[in-house]
Amino acid sequence: MSWSWFHKLGSPKWFFQWSKKWAPPVFCLGVLGIVVGTAWGLAFAPKDYLQGNVFRIIYLHVPSAILAESCYLSLGIAGFVFLVWQMKMAPIFIKAMAPIGAVMAAIALFSGSIWGKPTWGTWWVWDARLTSVLVLFMLYMGIIAIQNALDDRVLADKAAAVICVVGVINLPIIKYSVVWWNTLHQPATFSFMKKPDMPEVMWMPLLICVVSFYLFVAGLVIWRMQTEILRREHRASWLKTEVVGDGI
Amino acid sequence: MTYFSYFKAECLVLFRRKQNLVNALLFFALVIVLFPLGVDPSKAFLAPAAGGIIWCAAALATVISLESMFKEDYADGSLEQLLVSGLSISWLVLLKVLVHWLGMIIPLLLLTPIFSEMLFLPDGVLGVLMTTLLLGTPGLFLIGSIGASLTVSLRQGALLMLLLILPFYFPIIIFSTSAIQAVASGLPYSGLLAIIGAISLLALVMSPLMTPICLKASVR
Repeated sequence: MSWSWFHKLGSPKWFFQWSKKWAPPVFCLGVLGIVVGTAWGLAFAPKDYLQGNVFRIIYLHVPSAILAESCYLSLGIAGFVFLVWQMKMAPIFIKAMAPIGAVMAAIALFSGSIWGKPTWGTWWVWDARLTSVLVLFMLYMGIIAIQNALDDRVLADKAAAVICVVGVINLPIIKYSVVWWNTLHQPATFSFMKKPDMPEVMWMPLLICVVSFYLFVAGLVIWRMQTEILRREHRASWLKTEVVGDGI
Repeated sequence: MTYFSYFKAECLVLFRRKQNLVNALLFFALVIVLFPLGVDPSKAFLAPAAGGIIWCAAALATVISLESMFKEDYADGSLEQLLVSGLSISWLVLLKVLVHWLGMIIPLLLLTPIFSEMLFLPDGVLGVLMTTLLLGTPGLFLIGSIGASLTVSLRQGALLMLLLILPFYFPIIIFSTSAIQAVASGLPYSGLLAIIGAISLLALVMSPLMTPICLKASVR
């Protein structure tokens, strides 16, 4: 199998042309999946015998929490790629992804807090899982802040990449916080290793939600990267022909 | 220039600009004073909280003192000279961190018994508090040097540096205060001390890698 299509994505020009084809279908599929998954989960999945209808917030909470971590992992990889190989697309990716990850972490915190009130009897506890996700949210905000504070673009890219790489240390802490410490938060709902304990009618919509959140974020980030390419490469002649060709 | 002459020069600079260090220590003292005044001056509140208060104040004072770490060098051009000097910039950064750490930790360790007495720290805990400070502050300074190098070109970098660096201070603060709580309630604490040391060692690996990247990108 030839990998040249993949290597070509490292150049803004190729990426731009490739993303014009791929962003809309991926994004639309993601939105469709979210609609189907949440509708199934909220309206048709059976009630939990212990928590009643409250458990249904899982269909928002788990996908956003998984995405908050995955987005940061991707930022860490992109930061590493940029620091080692100086690839042009890596800082564009970081710039596009950081706010999405921040929103995902915020959704996870909010939905978790809404879920916590009826089940644990409190909006917030200072346990390891909750606190480490809060730290994750602050790391995202730090990345956004340093990109905005530094006017020199090369420096801003480097600085953001450094924070991304150093912050990866937080991910295993979040992942294993429910194992290492005695927390109120339950252990992971999903795992690649074994079949979930829930009945199929309950985890199927959750699986759909998680996968379509991934697609949604992928589509969104490709779109945002297009915008960032437009901003950075506005002097390039290929971009002019591209934009004029679109009839703008 | 050699590593030794650089070390000597850094010590001299630190000594001649004592006011920076004094300001950081005054800040440390004021943050500590805030807690009895702002929350509760009674022994019932202060005694269990004393270790945590001292640690939070130390972390904040570290950020404040490190904010200007590379700034003077950046402004007068000596940072560029260091980068072209042919010496390993990682070692120079480590030497600079070492000088700043020594300058801060010695007065801090002298002040801590006084403040722990004022905050009614329980008997027998002081030794562990000093040990956590000795083990943990190298980590604070090493991580802080990354933050200082990120914000070196900004005129008002202190706030941004706080935002970037404090999340990485949380583990050190958490494990230090839990070690202090463990010894106060008679539990074993050596494992917690080992974790604090491990975090500092990790910072010792990361900081000389990351700080030069930011310094080089800032100077260019």
